[in-house]
Amino acid sequence: MSRWRRSVDELAARRRQQGECERAQEALSRVTSCFQQLAASLGSSADGSFLRDEMDETRALAQRICSGLSQRLVHLLSDCDSAPSGVEDRQVSERLWVVFLSALENFLSDLRKASDLIGRFPLTQRYDRRSLVNTGCIDGMVGVAARVASVQAPWITLEEEPSPDLTNHITGLEAMLSEMQLRVPVAFWSVEATQPAWAEARGELEESDDSLEDLMEVEVVSNNKMATCCQPPCCGLGCVG
Amino acid sequence: MTIRNTLRDHGQRYRPRMACLKKAEKVMLEMQDPKTGVKSQPQRLVITTIPHAITGEDIIAWLADRLQVETQEARNFGSMLVALGYIYPLQDHKRLVIKPDASLYRFQTPYFWPTQQWPVEDTDYAIYLAKRNIRKKGILELHEQEQYNRLHKWMNHKWDFIVMQAKEQYRAAKERKKPDRVVFECQERAYWVVHRPPPGTVSAMDYGLDRRIDPNAEETKTPDFYERIMIFTQQSIMRPRVKSSVSIGAMVKYCATYSSHDPFLSKCLPSNPWLTDDVTYWTLNMPNVEIPTTMRVERWTFSFGELLSDPRGRNDFRLFLKKEFSGENLAFWESCEDLKWGTAATMSEKAEQIYKTFLARGAPRWINIDGKTMEITLKSLKHPHRYVLDAAQTHIYMLMKKDSYGRYMKSPVFKDTLKKAICPDEHKFSDAQLEQNAKNRRPSLSPIVLRQLELEQKAKMAANVDITQLCRFTTPVPHLAVYSGISDFPSANASPSLPFLAHTTACPSPISVALDSTSASERRAEATEGEVEGNPAARVPAGGNVSKSRMALSLRRLLKRGCTPSTMFASLSPKCHSAAGTSSRIQPIGPDQPSQAPPRRIANFFQIKVDIPPECRIYPIESEDEDEENRAASRGGVGAKEIICPWESLTPQNGTG
Repeated sequence: MSRWRRSVDELAARRRQQGECERAQEALSRVTSCFQQLAASLGSSADGSFLRDEMDETRALAQRICSGLSQRLVHLLSDCDSAPSGVEDRQVSERLWVVFLSALENFLSDLRKASDLIGRFPLTQRYDRRSLVNTGCIDGMVGVAARVASVQAPWITLEEEPSPDLTNHITGLEAMLSEMQLRVPVAFWSVEATQPAWAEARGELEESDDSLEDLMEVEVVSNNKMATCCQPPCCGLGCVG
Repeated sequence: MTIRNTLRDHGQRYRPRMACLKKAEKVMLEMQDPKTGVKSQPQRLVITTIPHAITGEDIIAWLADRLQVETQEARNFGSMLVALGYIYPLQDHKRLVIKPDASLYRFQTPYFWPTQQWPVEDTDYAIYLAKRNIRKKGILELHEQEQYNRLHKWMNHKWDFIVMQAKEQYRAAKERKKPDRVVFECQERAYWVVHRPPPGTVSAMDYGLDRRIDPNAEETKTPDFYERIMIFTQQSIMRPRVKSSVSIGAMVKYCATYSSHDPFLSKCLPSNPWLTDDVTYWTLNMPNVEIPTTMRVERWTFSFGELLSDPRGRNDFRLFLKKEFSGENLAFWESCEDLKWGTAATMSEKAEQIYKTFLARGAPRWINIDGKTMEITLKSLKHPHRYVLDAAQTHIYMLMKKDSYGRYMKSPVFKDTLKKAICPDEHKFSDAQLEQNAKNRRPSLSPIVLRQLELEQKAKMAANVDITQLCRFTTPVPHLAVYSGISDFPSANASPSLPFLAHTTACPSPISVALDSTSASERRAEATEGEVEGNPAARVPAGGNVSKSRMALSLRRLLKRGCTPSTMFASLSPKCHSAAGTSSRIQPIGPDQPSQAPPRRIANFFQIKVDIPPECRIYPIESEDEDEENRAASRGGVGAKEIICPWESLTPQNGTG
């Protein structure tokens, strides 16, 4: 009786942990995509100290999520080995594992790019600003920063570690990645996608963004007529956008 | 988790240096300077303006000024910047060229620059496609759809991550202000047009194979590294030196000669296929085209090497040599090339073949090289290797170059070819036609097919070797009609097989030879073949057992027609025919020939069984084979004249020569 109880408890605990990890995963996705938006402005005319500070903060947040997530995932998956668990449970854990590792790799590549760009456009002197690329971006990324700040992850507030600087961050994450791969053998090719192809297109995700399309298309004709600002939206010269 | 494609990896996973990228980036940064850079203007949209739009003409003007080049060159350079992805067009975003008008462009943000260290990941592309999918509700372009499906299949294990990330990125982008959002979308789209080009376009980022070692990594200073440096410097010291005036003079001369033929420096007629996507130029200049172009023929006049290296030129030269009856030189040279470049397995066989056909005394297509070279060659033929015929080949090459080449230039063959050569008009394509050409691009013939055609051609040529090309200066085989040129043969009504017969067995006759020797039976087979085809010098089919009586029969026929030996002799001696030509080393003929037949020095290296004196041979020709065999067996120190190559296994019949 008590053994059954224990196994049920274990099951429940595991489910809880998996749920935690999933939410953390989403949070990590959010943070990394915001980081990408920030990194895309590095070296451009929108670059500045505000941007760089924001990037550091985002990075730190991502680091906290990553470390917590990796600990829990390792714990989850090595735990699964010892305790008897359902196949589905194991599959869910493996999926989380693969998703996390992919996210980590993706984030790492962004970090490397960012590190390289910061090295190339140091912005330490005033005249450095002259060589910033005029890309047309002027935003201060306030909205993105706000989005980052709104990220909730289960253990963020709990673990307050000092955030490492960029190079150390990269090496740390690489170490984490290789360590995780060594410790738990997961056959990542056996994980299958939960949703079929083209599913995201069918989703009702947000309001339709036709205006963006129009804006990108309108460029096509707007060249010579700089005076007028009212362009008919559907004048795309064969540009599908 | 990324699955690296190990199947096609071959251990090559580093992108080669594209030095142009660093240089382009420098130029890009200079363009940004607010004072001296390119003038930018705001782009007006419906609801807002976006700054930093630049016109094509401004870019071109700035480049022309900064780099001190002409407008056309600046335009090409600008197009290259666009093709590489440093500048992207706002209109017509799929065509990565600079238009020299007021079309708008914008600089790409450094995050999307095509630098060397960040290979373009499929994961990112998958995320991008998923994002587009979300935004456009599944309406993607055809090639994008295909890529999407492919990636969904290959990256199925991380597809959940991809979709999640795409959604998050989509939402994150929405947090930005509208104009910036537009800019970012355009930037990303431009990035992927460069790195995942739609089909039918060429990507400037095509760099060929990846490299085995990382070009950006520092090379560790191992002892091996230093050893390589040492070897390199030692070899540099050992190189022969040339005065700079001489070498520079040679370079100047080369440049002056070839500048009009260089497709970079001067026009390519009718048009450069890489620029206009029209392949007429390549079709007209196929290796074995019937009618060459005038430019090509002009190149043949530059040097002998040019003539030989062009297959069409070589054909022409071969034709000329055929008319001059000195085709054996070219044939020998080609066989040497074949030996040098052929597979190791066929090497000794080829060397043997060449020896028998060209070098041996009495060979059917004997070439004339000086004694020293012959000696060296024959000596090294004992242990044949790839370059064993190099000395002889060089000698023959020089011979052809100094003698035949000059005459070829003045010959009617060449003049005819020159007259017939075509000079195509220049193409003038409009922009629309250029686009059409680009759409109709087709892959060229597979190299496998080309190689097959080449081999077929070779086989055809080998089968049709003209018997008139046999050597006139072959060691005379007095007991057999020596080839002398058909027209000179006294008995015009002799069986036509005879001259052919003679040619093929111009190698000292195997008539009386021991049957079991393979080379002899080969040659007999040659003889029978020869009755039909002529000198099988190039490719001898392994002979079956042909009765030698056939040959004897024909000879008998000839003799019955009343040719006296003496007249035959006289007519057959090479001295009858003017020894015009490349050399004058005519072997002495006559009855005394066989007795001292192979010079002593060669006899050391291979056995030659000399036949019985010719006078005896001619008369008793009606005798049966046994007689011949007996005679062959009872040699007073002479045996059947048969060439055994020095490296063949020694047979017990030790020729005394």
